[in-house]
Amino acid sequence: MNDVLRQPAEVIWKAEIDALCANAGSKPAGWAMTPQAAVTYLLGGEAADGTQITPKYVGQKRLIETAVATLATDRALLLLGVPGTAKSRVSEHLAAAIAGDSTLVVQCTAGTDENQIRYGWNYAQLLANGPSDEALVPTPLYRAMETGKLCRMEELTRMGSDVQDTLITVLSEKMMPIPELNKAIYATRGFNIIATANNRDKGVNELSSALKRRFNVVVLPLPDDIDEEVSIVTKRVGEMAQGLELPMPKNVAAEVARVVTIFRELRDGQTLDGKTALKAPTGTLSTAEAIAVMVGGLSQAAFFSDGVLNADGLAPNVLGAVVKDPVQDKTVLAEYLETVVKKRRDYADYYSVLTEIL
Amino acid sequence: MSAVSYLGIRHHGPGSARQVIASLQALHPSVVLIEGPADLSDQICHVADMAMVPPVALLAYAKDAPERAVFWPFARFSPEYQAMRWAIANDVPVRFIDLAASVTLAPDQSDDAIPADPVARDPIGALAHAAGYEDGESWWSDVIEENPDPGALFDAIADAMIALREGHMPDPREALREAHMRRAIAKADKEADGAVAVICGAWHVPALRERVKASDDNALLRGLPKVKVQATWAPWTSPRLARATGYGAGVAAPLWYDHIWENGTGAQADALWVARMARVLRDEGFDASTASLIEAVRLTRSLAAVRDRPAPGFEEMRDAAISTLMMGEPLQWRIIETRLLLGDQVGQIPDNLPLAPLLEDLQKQQKKLRLKPEALERELSLDLRSDAGLARSTLLHRLTSLDVPWGRLIDPGRSRGTFREKWALAWDAEFAVRLVEHLVYGPTIEAAAAGRLAEAIRGDAKLADVAAKVRDALVAQLPEVASIGIERLDVLAAETDDCALMLTALQPIVETLRYGTARDMALDRMETLLDRLIVQAALALPYAARGLDEEEAERLRSLIASADQSIALSERGPAVQTTWVSALHDAGLTELTAPLVGGLAARLAYEAGRMSAAEISNLMSLRLSRAKPASMSAAFFEGFFTNAGLKLVHDADLRSAVDAWVAALDEEAFDESLPLFRRVFSTLDANERCVLLEALLGKAGGGIVGSFAPNAEELWAAQLAKLTEIFEGTP
Repeated sequence: MNDVLRQPAEVIWKAEIDALCANAGSKPAGWAMTPQAAVTYLLGGEAADGTQITPKYVGQKRLIETAVATLATDRALLLLGVPGTAKSRVSEHLAAAIAGDSTLVVQCTAGTDENQIRYGWNYAQLLANGPSDEALVPTPLYRAMETGKLCRMEELTRMGSDVQDTLITVLSEKMMPIPELNKAIYATRGFNIIATANNRDKGVNELSSALKRRFNVVVLPLPDDIDEEVSIVTKRVGEMAQGLELPMPKNVAAEVARVVTIFRELRDGQTLDGKTALKAPTGTLSTAEAIAVMVGGLSQAAFFSDGVLNADGLAPNVLGAVVKDPVQDKTVLAEYLETVVKKRRDYADYYSVLTEIL
Repeated sequence: MSAVSYLGIRHHGPGSARQVIASLQALHPSVVLIEGPADLSDQICHVADMAMVPPVALLAYAKDAPERAVFWPFARFSPEYQAMRWAIANDVPVRFIDLAASVTLAPDQSDDAIPADPVARDPIGALAHAAGYEDGESWWSDVIEENPDPGALFDAIADAMIALREGHMPDPREALREAHMRRAIAKADKEADGAVAVICGAWHVPALRERVKASDDNALLRGLPKVKVQATWAPWTSPRLARATGYGAGVAAPLWYDHIWENGTGAQADALWVARMARVLRDEGFDASTASLIEAVRLTRSLAAVRDRPAPGFEEMRDAAISTLMMGEPLQWRIIETRLLLGDQVGQIPDNLPLAPLLEDLQKQQKKLRLKPEALERELSLDLRSDAGLARSTLLHRLTSLDVPWGRLIDPGRSRGTFREKWALAWDAEFAVRLVEHLVYGPTIEAAAAGRLAEAIRGDAKLADVAAKVRDALVAQLPEVASIGIERLDVLAAETDDCALMLTALQPIVETLRYGTARDMALDRMETLLDRLIVQAALALPYAARGLDEEEAERLRSLIASADQSIALSERGPAVQTTWVSALHDAGLTELTAPLVGGLAARLAYEAGRMSAAEISNLMSLRLSRAKPASMSAAFFEGFFTNAGLKLVHDADLRSAVDAWVAALDEEAFDESLPLFRRVFSTLDANERCVLLEALLGKAGGGIVGSFAPNAEELWAAQLAKLTEIFEGTP
């Protein structure tokens, strides 16, 4: 076992990537594998040499095809969606598959400035020798342009609009001027940008239309049906439990189905059978949160409940995910418990634990 | 004996249409046989008429029972339609060979002309789906048309169908049709002295090629029941082609097929389609820059490459457009989808063709009543006392209930019960198609309107809707339907206990009764029904008004207001009136009633004389007292005075109660109530407001006096100069 808490995708899935890279077919310049192989890597399938490829993203095939096709042109890709719809995951795996390197990441925040996007300076050098190549500190974007790899910009809309617009020249002319040295760097073939942004948050900076126009946008939706969502959660929980060395009790699948049902009903504002309307809580209740609830429950089961995974351990996590606004969401949840959960015999344990802690 | 070529097509597939024409050119057959009702072959010649513009439908109906009708829709890109045109243009005999319409329309045949099995219906679409395509035409162009030789192409399709049909047992109807076609082909083959071309759905090719003894087919087809059939062509619309049920052709995107037919596939065509998409987007108010269009086309190429397809098709177009033009939002696509894919094309048929029965009836009546269909809107004023006026009004009402709103009643609410009706007339080509379709309800406009309304009444479970339909039936002079409706109303009224539902039903019933006086009809049963409904609603009212949220309270408030008006208009007997007013009184008095509703109920009870002035001002000051939350007081106030601000002008007791309440509001509550005051008082005109102010403040304005400042004149000159400067922009 390695000491690294979480390895990047290209290390974890090295065998699959290597197998897919060997697939025959024409590769765009700078690509490690063919676009078709990249789609297979994301959605699962089989490599030409028979290696089984596990699915990394469960969802609509045409979205992933659009994403890969976009990167195969010289257009940048923007992955949009509510929190927890696997935007960052898709971006990481796309970079791992196409460029073999998912580590060139810029985490955009309100405090990100142009120096973190374009290049910075080593001030000791700068003061001693003036502007020079040695004094220049490259950013992930800079490195990606130099080496012809993919640069990932996480949460693009979180940084200020003026800083966002730094990207316009890079995206349209594929070059970055360095006026201090009177030169410019030109992107090597294979360079491109994958940005992610969420379209639910408040307090973000809308993309300027000039920048918007330079991205092809793929909106990643919440899973369409419950079976799909249950399988996503079960799969991810399994992977994460393995990484954290948590034991997996036998009833995980059943518990996932119950938690996902609660999440979906509250999120959609109606019961699965469509018969009862419900109030929706303020949080997004995304798939990612359902995964977090399950992993929390597993960890509690492993360390405090003798490995027994049940409503006692999971319900508090569900409560934490649902109640984001202490006043409003509590009534929403209470109403849901009384009108829906109470009547379901197979949810009796959730009902009693949740009503007790509410 | 000669060679028979089987051209297995995809119904309404532009790719097939193109290949069919190419094959016919190469083959130059001596006769063309098409899958279509054999006894309607004489209708084919009309296709050559320049005045016929698809989409059109071949229509056949039983002469004695026009409600049994079948349509065969054709678009410009339908292979059958193109084959007919080719044959006529090249002077080649052309015939339909499918089971005759006279058999299809016979009473004991099931009227479902479309195979239920989706694979049998569109086998090529099914193959495409199996290959991961959403759109059958893209698969056709990618897979089938890759093959440049049309002869080999149709062989390949036939092979595919043999595989698909393996183990398929044709249902009795399909067996009959295929036997009939086989026999017709054999006969044509015997007579012809050249090649024979058969254009039929790909699905049937294996069955038609099969060697079956002629005597077996004859035995199967012997003694089938028949009816007398009338046939003609009727205009059709592109959205109707898209419908998968009824007579629709099940073409999901007629305009996309039209585009493929017109422009083919390839770079030029793709650019055209993307440009069309952009135009629709812009019309809907979205941005679509030219640069984005270029990116959209590039992405379609790239997507096609990722999907291992030789050229971009419909799905690539859609996915690329969503990603580049619509910020990834499928919602925007859904907004433009209908316009982009379905369009609003309406076909035309030549003037010399016999018309579909309803159209014919309409034309007759138009002539008789001197009403010309014109596209430009014009007004028409009718006097219902004259026979001509009544007849015209009846026709327009009947058409409206057939979903053909040729005339639109202007200001219907106000002129009810009078002898005048004002209509705005505007004819739309689409209306003709709707009339053609409504043949299923009856052969004349009167019968069809009655049939459609009666069906709607039987299917409807909502009291108010049925009541409205009874009214429609009466104004359309369809008394039988009205009596069906009244019976249904009776049943529904017995079942319902929902106050709101009953209140909604009151208005149309009262209107019906008042119309009855202008239109001479026996309506005793309606009278009884109305009394019963009012009493039922009155009993339910005090309870229905409890525990409502703001939205529901507002809904109930306006319902009660209009119901009260209707009841007043209907001049009920004293017992019914009293029950209604008592209900209002009870609802107004109890504090359990939602305050907005309570306010209105109290006022109506007061107006009806059920509460004295002293009682009402007591109630008012009780409800508006400081101890109550300001929001509740405000709601009560709003309910009471909405559309009744004038009460304050004339009623001193009421006024002082309100005055005391307003004066006692603290600043915050007052600010919150300002919009409410504005709503209530803005219904007063300037004069009434003056009177109200005077009443409150006394003649002299209660000491609020204004006067000019002592040096006003000097000051004004300076002010004026400054204003002029500002307005004229001089520095």
